[in-house]
Amino acid sequence: MAETKVSARYAASLIDLALEKNALDALSKDMELVHSAILSSNDLNNVLQSPVIKTEKKKIILSEIFKNKISEDSLNFIRFVVDKNRENLLTSIIKKFLQMRDEKLGMVRVEVKTSFDFTDEQKEKLQQRLEKILNKKAQLKFIADSTIVGGFVAKVGDTVYDASVKHQLELLRKEFLHGSVQLN
Amino acid sequence: MAEVRPDEISAILRKQLSGFESEVDIYDVGTVLQVGDGIARVYGLSKVMASELVEFPNDVFGMVLNLEEDSVGCVLFGESKLVKEGDTVKRTKRVASIPVGKNMLGRVVNPLGIPVDGKGSITAEKYYPIERKALGVIQRQPVKEPLQTGITAIDGMIPIGRGQRELIIGDRQTGKTAVAIDTIINQKITHTEEAAKLGIKPVYCIYVAIGQKSSTIAQVVAKLHEHDAMSYTTVISASASESSPLQFVAPYAGASLGEFFRDNGKHALVIYDDLSKQAAAYRELSLLLRRPPGREAYPGDVFYLHSRLLERASKLSDDLGGGSLTALPIIETQQGDVSAYIPTNVISITDGQIYLESNLFNAGVRPAINVGISVSRVGGNAQIKAMKKVAGSLKLDLAQYRELEAFAKFGSDLDKSTQRTLSKGARLVELLKQGQFSPVPVERQVVSIYLGTNNYLDSIPVADVKRFEREIQEFIGVKYNQIYENIKKEKALSDETISEIKKASEEFLTVFKKSA
Repeated sequence: MAETKVSARYAASLIDLALEKNALDALSKDMELVHSAILSSNDLNNVLQSPVIKTEKKKIILSEIFKNKISEDSLNFIRFVVDKNRENLLTSIIKKFLQMRDEKLGMVRVEVKTSFDFTDEQKEKLQQRLEKILNKKAQLKFIADSTIVGGFVAKVGDTVYDASVKHQLELLRKEFLHGSVQLN
Repeated sequence: MAEVRPDEISAILRKQLSGFESEVDIYDVGTVLQVGDGIARVYGLSKVMASELVEFPNDVFGMVLNLEEDSVGCVLFGESKLVKEGDTVKRTKRVASIPVGKNMLGRVVNPLGIPVDGKGSITAEKYYPIERKALGVIQRQPVKEPLQTGITAIDGMIPIGRGQRELIIGDRQTGKTAVAIDTIINQKITHTEEAAKLGIKPVYCIYVAIGQKSSTIAQVVAKLHEHDAMSYTTVISASASESSPLQFVAPYAGASLGEFFRDNGKHALVIYDDLSKQAAAYRELSLLLRRPPGREAYPGDVFYLHSRLLERASKLSDDLGGGSLTALPIIETQQGDVSAYIPTNVISITDGQIYLESNLFNAGVRPAINVGISVSRVGGNAQIKAMKKVAGSLKLDLAQYRELEAFAKFGSDLDKSTQRTLSKGARLVELLKQGQFSPVPVERQVVSIYLGTNNYLDSIPVADVKRFEREIQEFIGVKYNQIYENIKKEKALSDETISEIKKASEEFLTVFKKSA
């Protein structure tokens, strides 16, 4: 859709800027901060989405919030986006930017669901193992979820590495169901 | 009731478990964004293929039809109520496919190859994708072998060859399905040893029921069983209660199964009953997928929908084994309107059509074939020589009869030659009437048509024609059986055979008793 195309274009320009200024780390940290700020405050999100509030006003509000917290470059980028009347896409631009940065650095984000909290040693082991399989640097995010009974589920993008007991039980159920038909 | 012992159960469970290994399972997923009316829009599934099967929760399967920039449009093969927003969708990495092989014969399956006849699972030799590309020019050869339908009117005047696509078209209740079922039943003789000796290869049949009542499908299956026709037939059932995506893929599944036989040098016949319903199912899901509607609200690619299906019927070249896939699509018209969108499309795609008319049907002419506008564009090459010889004048006589039919009520006021044409025509029409589920072998058809066109029926009252035909066939079968044997063996009508038929008929005419 048009929106994703637009966000990708803005994100790409931000990446280029970051590489040019050699400030990819700083910029991405800023962007993460902005992202979490927008996500945490419903009011701020409403302001961004609202077409009634004037551009100037939005710029002042954003400057007020993020001044001294993020670099001048980041703030300029946000102002630029607002100037172009694309502030409603700001979150998707940032998401796309972070995604592009991960690609650039050969990094993947992995969401790991575990039935209980892993020890640091286990986490370390899992990370090493995943990095070896994926051939990329992995950034793990652990979530505890007791419904998977045991084991873990690692999600990399759209691909799932499922070693949970729940999934095994599900497979077993299917195996039995399939087998029972043959017995008739 | 049989007893089930617990130790037996645990033994079976242990056997099942022995092959089960626990490993890390790797699969791709997406999330349902929107679901309803049998359509789901899914976020994720980034590497999914077009027309790939995907698995939703609760054992609901779907097929990917739309690949968009940030979402994937799927059609659901099951209840859309079982799928919720936010559910996880799994890839199967398998394009929608159907199990193929000889094990499918004698079974009733759904379009995904899952048996619905309660006779247990099917161990498949192979899986064929449902959508396959039709073969090109090099791989084909002209149609040259006959596919006998067992219906005298069709085999005589609208012959069908193996690899042909012949449309059966007509209003509701005109006997379209009956023609198709008779054709399936008539293929029984191709599976006999006698046929093998004569060099006739067996024809495997596939009956695809789309959007019909389940009771009708059950009736068809029962009829096929009754006539021992199920042993070489597969029924693919997508009844009216099935979701529209299943109805839409059913004919393609049938074609894939037929292609398996064709590709192995065998012969297959597939019947699509009917394609109007399939077009309606496709329209339904196209509109739900928000594809723009065109004429009669069908999407723009409804012609391609049928052309790519029927193009898969083919006669392979000898290098590829010479197998064939014959297609008999069925179209139901509304009030005889053949110029509606779907009928015109399918008429233009096929190699001819058999047109069934309700007023003929009601007048007792069954099969209610309108010989005037029914044609077969390629089947003539496939007719056996004997049939070609006798059927030529049959067509002519019937055409002349139709021209003069309007004058029939003037009776004796007409001149002699007109009267003769009319009385001959009336007898030929009577001769071509045929009951359901009673296919006639080709050698008997040849004799019947020979008698009709060579004025042996002139002295028989119209009401006695059918009885005369039946009795003379029996007479020849007993006393002059070599006539049938010769036609079967030589496939042509030699002068000796003709003189024998003449002799036999004259002999029989002296003993035949006309009814009062």
